[in-house]
Amino acid sequence: MIRTGTRYRLLALFVLPALLVYVGFSVYPLLSSVALSFFDSDNGGSTFAGFGNYIYLFTDPYVSERFWNALRNSVVFFGIHLVVELPIGLLMAALLTSNSVRRSRGVYRTLLFIPATLSVVIVGFLWRLIINPLWGLVSFPLLGDAATALPTISLMSVWQYIGIPMIFLFTALIAIPEDILEASRIDGARAWATFWQIKFPLILPQFGLIAILTYIWTFNGFDIVYALNGSAPGPNYSTDILGTLFYRTFFGSSGQVADTDLGATIASVVFFIILVTTAAYFVVLQRRLKTYEL
Amino acid sequence: MRSKLAPLAALTVTAVALTLAGCSAGGDAGDNGDVTTITFGNWRVEDAALWEENVIPAFEAAHPEIKVTYQPTGTDDYNAAIQSQIESGTGPDVIMCRPFDVNRAWIDDGYFDDLTGLPGIDGFTDTALAAWQGNDGNPYCVPIASVLAGFYYNKTIFDELGLEIPTTMAEFTDVLQAIKDDGTYTPLALGSADGWQLSYNVLDSIGPNYWQGEDGRLGLIDGTKKLTDPEFVDAFQAVADLKAFMPDGYQSLTYEDQMQLFTLGKAAIMPDGSWDVTAATATGLDVGVFAPPVVADGDQRYLQEMPDQGVGLNADSKNKDAAKVFLSWLASSEFQSIYVDKVPGFFSMGSEPVTYTNALAQEFADLKTDALLTPRLQLDRLSAGNPPLDDNTWAVLQTVLNDGVSPADATSKLQTDLDSWYVPAS
Repeated sequence: MIRTGTRYRLLALFVLPALLVYVGFSVYPLLSSVALSFFDSDNGGSTFAGFGNYIYLFTDPYVSERFWNALRNSVVFFGIHLVVELPIGLLMAALLTSNSVRRSRGVYRTLLFIPATLSVVIVGFLWRLIINPLWGLVSFPLLGDAATALPTISLMSVWQYIGIPMIFLFTALIAIPEDILEASRIDGARAWATFWQIKFPLILPQFGLIAILTYIWTFNGFDIVYALNGSAPGPNYSTDILGTLFYRTFFGSSGQVADTDLGATIASVVFFIILVTTAAYFVVLQRRLKTYEL
Repeated sequence: MRSKLAPLAALTVTAVALTLAGCSAGGDAGDNGDVTTITFGNWRVEDAALWEENVIPAFEAAHPEIKVTYQPTGTDDYNAAIQSQIESGTGPDVIMCRPFDVNRAWIDDGYFDDLTGLPGIDGFTDTALAAWQGNDGNPYCVPIASVLAGFYYNKTIFDELGLEIPTTMAEFTDVLQAIKDDGTYTPLALGSADGWQLSYNVLDSIGPNYWQGEDGRLGLIDGTKKLTDPEFVDAFQAVADLKAFMPDGYQSLTYEDQMQLFTLGKAAIMPDGSWDVTAATATGLDVGVFAPPVVADGDQRYLQEMPDQGVGLNADSKNKDAAKVFLSWLASSEFQSIYVDKVPGFFSMGSEPVTYTNALAQEFADLKTDALLTPRLQLDRLSAGNPPLDDNTWAVLQTVLNDGVSPADATSKLQTDLDSWYVPAS
């Protein structure tokens, strides 16, 4: 047996490389970005501005309008993922674990997961070509109309990443032992009842986890909107989400000069929003979900 | 018993492989004997072959001790890429400069070195240098090229339908209506998904005929004119009137879709800039170009000439002497003749006359005769604050075309947003 002291030292030694990389590339940039948001640099030389940038972000009419617009769009973006991606992922995972697709289970699993491996630029351009009024199948300008542009891009993103909740919930479902399902069959439960009253409650913790992960990923989302619509996205900013707002503010666009401090402020606010909501979720909801020892 | 040496051997091989990979990647730039290599950052990915095969070899033949590496970034990412590169100290030695306000912000941030006294810089007029001057009035970039805006048209379609080039806006509407009534072709290859080209190639192209070019633009800058004045509202109305002649589903059509529609021969007229001379003729169509029509017969004609590309010196460059030699060469007429010849659609800004071998480029340049020239309306001083008039115009034009916002409301919004931060320089 290794002594406790040595054990902890060994643990620290093995964790150290990964920890260094994580601190260097994740924690330090995050902290320095938050620190940057407390400064204001006008024409060279930064001066400490306290919460000035935050006040400016929320009170200046143009900047705050853009921010609330981006926040609203991010909520819609997440909402569509929650309502479309998770139920369909659950459905596909349920189908894959049911008795009907026993033989071709591996084939379907691979096929459904392939879009998640594609580059986001390819997915965006492919779908844009399909719905293009000139060369594609749809005559209504889905991406050009302010009301339909954001749902369309959200659905493209859902199509691409549908494999992720599917695989997640699939692994949760196949962990359920066969004898529980046999017992339910003996008791006379049909397929629908088996799923909703036995399988689903058993995977509820994982379902909650993938929901909160989807929330984090969509609020940090950026690439599909940027790939399709650039940094000032959408007809009249209707597809502008928090990620693209940050990018445009921090780096500037062809007509707009960059404001790195305001960009850092936006990034800090987004981080704070995600942190608070996720913490609230874990404290309030996740604890209530019963985890069963299978 | 598993080998005790195997893990150690694997570790050694990995370490050696990583070191070799690191060495080979980092050993490219820099001095190699007496040859200095300088990097040229720019946004013209499309012109890479033209620069690398024609322009740069000419320079390297004249100056064998300097090599130039062409490092383009796509135009949408260019500003962000250059800013992050310079802030982290890995910027290219010479950098292509955006015109007016964006460049002034970069100059204020210390990205560029002052170029006063550079051999050749005095061969340019003050107007040519103005787009790249700092607030101190010194030149920071060598002007390379300006671009013009006009209307490309398919000569075959015009002959087939018996149409003449319009000289007034009324004739222009008649031509568009005739093409639409015929039904075979789309009158206008124009979409509103990309806002920038609505502003630069449509509003700022037909607009100067309404707001009298420099009179209108300088009037906005010194505060004597407002965007809500009738001449500006009429210009916005002229853009809104084009809606009837745009293809179905134009709200989703991008700049690339427009070019495809035109070069496939499905549309008759495309508003665009002179930089697309090569792209417009790429499929072998018979293409001509006509200038934006005047409002009433006999009016003075105005044409948009925009200083588009300048090249400046990175203040943190390690090869400043070699870079300055390159910049002086860019200011020479030798470069200008090669450039406008091999990269058609860009027009020289030097004071010496240049001829163009590309027929379409020459046709474009001929549009300048008897026209008063003016740059784009929004980029000089009116985009230095928040919200910048440039980006704001793009979004507002999209609402005019997509959501039916009236020109009066559109210009009133733009003026209110401009008044929120802009103090006229009087």
